[in-house]
Amino acid sequence: MTAEIIVVTSGKGGVGKTTTSASLATGLAMAGKKVAVIDFDVGLRNLDLIMGCERRVVYDFVNVVHGEATLKQSLIKDKRYDNLYVLAASQTRDKDALTMEGVEKVLDGLSEDGFDYVVCDSPAGIEKGAHLAMYFADHAVVVVNPEVSSVRDSDRILGLLASKTRRAEKGEPPITQHLLLTRYNPARVAIGEMLSVKDVEEILGIQVVGVIPESENVLTASNNGIPVIVDANSLAGQAYSDTVARILGEERPLRFIDVPKKGFLQRVFGG
Amino acid sequence: MNASMDATDACDLRFGQVGLACVRVRRVDAAALCDELERRVRAAPQMFARAAVVLDLSHLLDLPDDGTVDALLEAVRSAGMLPVGLAYGTSETEALAKRMGLPLIAKFRAAYEPATGAPAAVAPAPRSEPAPAPTREPILAAPASGNVGAQHHAGSVRSGQQIYARDRDLIVTGAVANGAEVIADGNIHIYGGLRGRAMAGAQGDEKARIYVSDFRAELVAIAGQYRVFEQIPGDLEGQSVQCWLDGEKLMIARL
Repeated sequence: MTAEIIVVTSGKGGVGKTTTSASLATGLAMAGKKVAVIDFDVGLRNLDLIMGCERRVVYDFVNVVHGEATLKQSLIKDKRYDNLYVLAASQTRDKDALTMEGVEKVLDGLSEDGFDYVVCDSPAGIEKGAHLAMYFADHAVVVVNPEVSSVRDSDRILGLLASKTRRAEKGEPPITQHLLLTRYNPARVAIGEMLSVKDVEEILGIQVVGVIPESENVLTASNNGIPVIVDANSLAGQAYSDTVARILGEERPLRFIDVPKKGFLQRVFGG
Repeated sequence: MNASMDATDACDLRFGQVGLACVRVRRVDAAALCDELERRVRAAPQMFARAAVVLDLSHLLDLPDDGTVDALLEAVRSAGMLPVGLAYGTSETEALAKRMGLPLIAKFRAAYEPATGAPAAVAPAPRSEPAPAPTREPILAAPASGNVGAQHHAGSVRSGQQIYARDRDLIVTGAVANGAEVIADGNIHIYGGLRGRAMAGAQGDEKARIYVSDFRAELVAIAGQYRVFEQIPGDLEGQSVQCWLDGEKLMIARL
């Protein structure tokens, strides 16, 4: 039994990779899977903050890669879900501290420990850190914002996923690609300020696996160290739940992609 | 205005693209070379008799010495062809060409690199136009080497990817994204959208054409004549179009 490796990547920075990694890993854990989430952004460590475990980091990913600590010592157990573990990045090192062999060893180790899923939170860019994060992946979640520069960078990433990964190099079946549209604002799409779901799908030639609406809950949740998926009342949290279900093979209709219709009272009294 | 007396220049200097046969020498054997070429000339005198050819020595392990090269050139001449230059190789070839008083034909640089296998799917393509062959007279087109078919690319070409179909047509069944490049020495057919760049006739074939079923290109080029599109003309955007060369003008029209 080998672990399924999912890379969360985008090319462009600031589109919501870490937020997505945290919610995806948590969502898979909520579905009963044993999950590890790894921060590949060595030097700009953020995932531990979003997961709310920054004060419990003793050993990190780089330590394990260099054999300075064991996996067991470095995996931080999530405080909400017993079957969810975080492997933090090192803030004091840089991307060169990671090696292909070291990363492979860590992923193999997680497989042996019976993990069902390993979520790799990729750094921005297409350099070493991003390359290592995607190299061993079985699935890729490409996070894209509804704006042209993000879409172009995602296109580049989709090309790299199809050529510069272990599956591509060994001629194995290609990585399953999932496109996740985040920061989606239906009202701004309606007045033409943002690309629509259809625009993005058309440009990139693949279907979205989920659409996460722009929402202040995301920021609040991040600042509190709670993955937004845990907040079942927020639209973003519900959209992430839908997305995780779809990645697990369930069919669910897209929600929150149209401008919410105002109810009768709202129309009468404004609001 | 006495300049009007003699308004015409003594000559025009123009670059032209001409096909040129290339004799790729596989082993240093002047007699065998002569025999082989003689056979070709007899078989197709229309095509080969007094045809200008360039000598390509890049497939030999070591560059032969001047005397041997002289003998090879003489073998070509006695077979009935006219050697007009050496194909581009290393700096040694360049020095050799200088000593022989022959031009180096740079056009053959890309096409005759010692890659004998099938062209790789993604090959670094010459970005600029190859220099036109400085031959003295226009001659017959190079013999067509039979039907080489086309290179197929299933699916989309992503931003940052480059596809080069050497010596053949290129068919892309998906889209070509912004920032992606498709290049072919022959024609290009794109059945998805073209948002990136397409360059047909990369080795100078002015008859090459580009066919696109959803036109939104950044740039199209045929045989070095190019057009960039900061703004895509409204009547072409999203339409299926073809591009071709009319003289030196790059034409684009809806299909």
